[in-house]
Amino acid sequence: MSELLDIAQKAVKAAMAAGADFADAYCLEMREVGVGVENSSLRETEVVRDYGIGVRAFHDGGVGRASTQSLQPEDVVECARSAAALAKAADPDPDFVTLPDPAEPPPVDDLFDDTVAGLEVEQVVEWCTQAIEEARAIEPGVRLEGGASLTVGSSAIASSTGIGLQRSGTSLGISFQAVVVDGEDVGVYFEYDAARLLNDFVPTGVAAKATQQARRYLGGRTVKTKRLPLVLGPLAASGLLFSCVSAAAAENIQRNRSFLAGKEGQPIASELLTITEAPLVAGGLSSSAYDGEGVPKVERRLIKDGVLTTYLHNSYTANKAGVANTAHAGRQGYRGAVGVTTSNLQVALGTRTEAELISEIDEGLYIAYGGLQPDGASGDISATVDFGFKIEKGELAYPVATTMVGSDAFEVLGKIDAVSSDYREEPGIIVPSLRIRDIQVASQE
Amino acid sequence: MQQLMERIIQAALDQGADFADLRISNGAATAIAVEDGRADKISSSRSRGAGLRVLVDGAWGFAPTNRPEEAELLHCVEDATAMAQAASSHVTDPGMVAEVEPAHGEVGKPPRIRPDQVPLKDRVARVFELERAARSYQPNKIANTVASYADGCGEMFLANSLGTLLHYESTGTSIGLSVVATDGNTRQRSADRKANRTGYELIEATDIETLGKQTAKKAVDLLSAQRAPAGTFDVIIDHRICGLLVHEAFGHNSEADAVWSGNSILAGKLGEQVAAEEVTITDDPTLPDLNGSFDYDHEGVPAQRHVIVKNGILKGYLHSLETAARFGVPPNGSARADGHQSVPIVRMSNTAIEPGKWTLAEMMAEMDEGLYLSGGGWGYVFTAQGQFTCNVEHAYRIKNGKLGTHYRNVCISGRTLETLQKVTAVADDLEFELGGTCGKNGQGMAVDAGGPHVRISQVVVGGQETQ
Repeated sequence: MSELLDIAQKAVKAAMAAGADFADAYCLEMREVGVGVENSSLRETEVVRDYGIGVRAFHDGGVGRASTQSLQPEDVVECARSAAALAKAADPDPDFVTLPDPAEPPPVDDLFDDTVAGLEVEQVVEWCTQAIEEARAIEPGVRLEGGASLTVGSSAIASSTGIGLQRSGTSLGISFQAVVVDGEDVGVYFEYDAARLLNDFVPTGVAAKATQQARRYLGGRTVKTKRLPLVLGPLAASGLLFSCVSAAAAENIQRNRSFLAGKEGQPIASELLTITEAPLVAGGLSSSAYDGEGVPKVERRLIKDGVLTTYLHNSYTANKAGVANTAHAGRQGYRGAVGVTTSNLQVALGTRTEAELISEIDEGLYIAYGGLQPDGASGDISATVDFGFKIEKGELAYPVATTMVGSDAFEVLGKIDAVSSDYREEPGIIVPSLRIRDIQVASQE
Repeated sequence: MQQLMERIIQAALDQGADFADLRISNGAATAIAVEDGRADKISSSRSRGAGLRVLVDGAWGFAPTNRPEEAELLHCVEDATAMAQAASSHVTDPGMVAEVEPAHGEVGKPPRIRPDQVPLKDRVARVFELERAARSYQPNKIANTVASYADGCGEMFLANSLGTLLHYESTGTSIGLSVVATDGNTRQRSADRKANRTGYELIEATDIETLGKQTAKKAVDLLSAQRAPAGTFDVIIDHRICGLLVHEAFGHNSEADAVWSGNSILAGKLGEQVAAEEVTITDDPTLPDLNGSFDYDHEGVPAQRHVIVKNGILKGYLHSLETAARFGVPPNGSARADGHQSVPIVRMSNTAIEPGKWTLAEMMAEMDEGLYLSGGGWGYVFTAQGQFTCNVEHAYRIKNGKLGTHYRNVCISGRTLETLQKVTAVADDLEFELGGTCGKNGQGMAVDAGGPHVRISQVVVGGQETQ
């Protein structure tokens, strides 16, 4: 792995020699073994070995970026020179100040599992064959689609300000869509599990859960167009909250294109909502000691009692605003730009279970998965309830079809009137259910 | 290159593969972003590599590499065949491949103007023009403008064990704009994009000033638009919404891999009435210079026009080599892969509802009450239950045949087959306006979609306000 850091440092040196004022480089190599299932049969296996480098160079603040799918010395140097040449062609940006200085990142345990690194394709095949068997045991005619994978990767970041960091990680994933057919009626649902460590990974039961849930979605019906209370299950809540938190990305705020512009320190949600970002959890799915620019991460409240406590900064936006860097720089592999990303989100729990929250609703909608992501600029929400149930007299009555929800982010967040005490947990991530009062629902009349 | 590829294919067959194909590709791309008056983000990328796929005893194995050299490719042969062998005893629905005539030669015509031969400063200048045109439209209301440009040139060699050996050259160019307008109370965004599989001639042919000002005007107009009503409406959809509907709601269901796996509402419906008689749906990669156009797919099968629905009757599906074999039909050239690290899967190309006989004015005149839906950039579908969602940028109340109140940023939803049965009129004004990237199974693919104005009864609109 020190070889990766060496390559990254050489790229930085080459970019600086080509005239860059500042430069950084991100180098990655990974191996992924995947097995695909289609039509409830094993279908394909693949082993993907990917590696490459992305170089950013700055000239008078303008940024040039280049990437290549090669780690050969001559290709790396060419890539670095391209980045420097593009930076010179870019317009100066007076808001750029500097890249981050080096700082010792905090320790984060259990992001790499030697056992996972040693697994072969036969293990992944076994997870998938077991999944098919368990799904068929519940519903012999189920159509199962999905698969499982394991990934082992290493990366390095180097910068002209002296950052030189490297890390390794492992991850495991399994996900399935189950389709159950009854005449012309079709029920569909998804389930997944993911982890960094083999001990945290529970592939058993994922396909069975998807199949059981798919059966519940047979017999979808429309509802009346009217205003109703909603209960968002953990997956639907996660989608809404992740979208809202992402809208706090400082570049979108500074560019005046986010519905959260001007809202730092302001209430944006019910006081029942508190969200903590916990990047340092051992074995956490999105845990990391430092961000995409090598800045040490810290645990922080993003929303406290409904108040947006901070925007999400990388070095550029923090310097531009003259505030502390919150270490939210994110990279989409070696080919992507440096943007903003969050790590593990943990939502503060309420005192009553999801079932208790539902039991208090005479008529409403339960949304299990998807929908409700607001438009990033306006905050408007117009979403289909693809996986949801009508609530009648305190219970889930029947699945809904051709039913939509119309609202906006502030209305939905502000009308949260309960957070459940039970929750869905992935390593490092905790999301409960949310109850939201009085939202516009539209359906086929 | 030919000898190398033949040696690798033979090595795969020697290792026990019943079928093998190998794609070796090499490409370069440039992207420019001009935002709020500055071209401060310019990037380039180089990609190269190979993807080797084998079919062994009914199981597929795939091994890509970023180093397309013989020793590494032989390593891929070992990986792919060993992995497929490990899975093959558990396969209950064996993979298969249709026989096709082997294809040889050169694929793809060179662009009139290679983008990488246009000086970078000239490309930057055009993106600047676009951004400036948008920013200068009511500047007190424009909050953010991002003009973006991308080009890519690449070549790919394909060889397979059926004897095919093709050399593809491809070019793609796009220019787009996103504008956020604000009046202090709300922010509204409008976006537009031109993309096709040609060279810089796309940029030369684009009226940059008009594209910039029109997009900005749409964003500003949305500031005074009202929140949309919720409920069920008779609607007229424009070319973009029609493209979204035909691609998302219907097209994905016509991909034969979805049909075979029980993931499509069109399974078992060949020859049946699946839409109103006015509806004919085609997918045509042979249309010149659209974003989904190509000459051969990535399995070496010639592109061809597909009539998927004719006068409401389902006529066929889009096929890869594998799905054609499963369904016992000839392959029809619909398998493409997103680079060497992905396997070819069934994809749409340029998908449209074919024009009918109505004019928009005639359709409007017959409508006492309803909505006119326009713009919109995204959609999705859950194919198994056939429930779609399409984004709509602008909606207008129709009253007594005339446009009225303007509504903003809403989605429509429905069950695909029910919705297509409720088409009551198809106009004669076909346009393709959705050149972009379609996502499926983690792969992005260049596609286009469009259609004429179409009138549909009783569509669910997910608005925020009670009627």
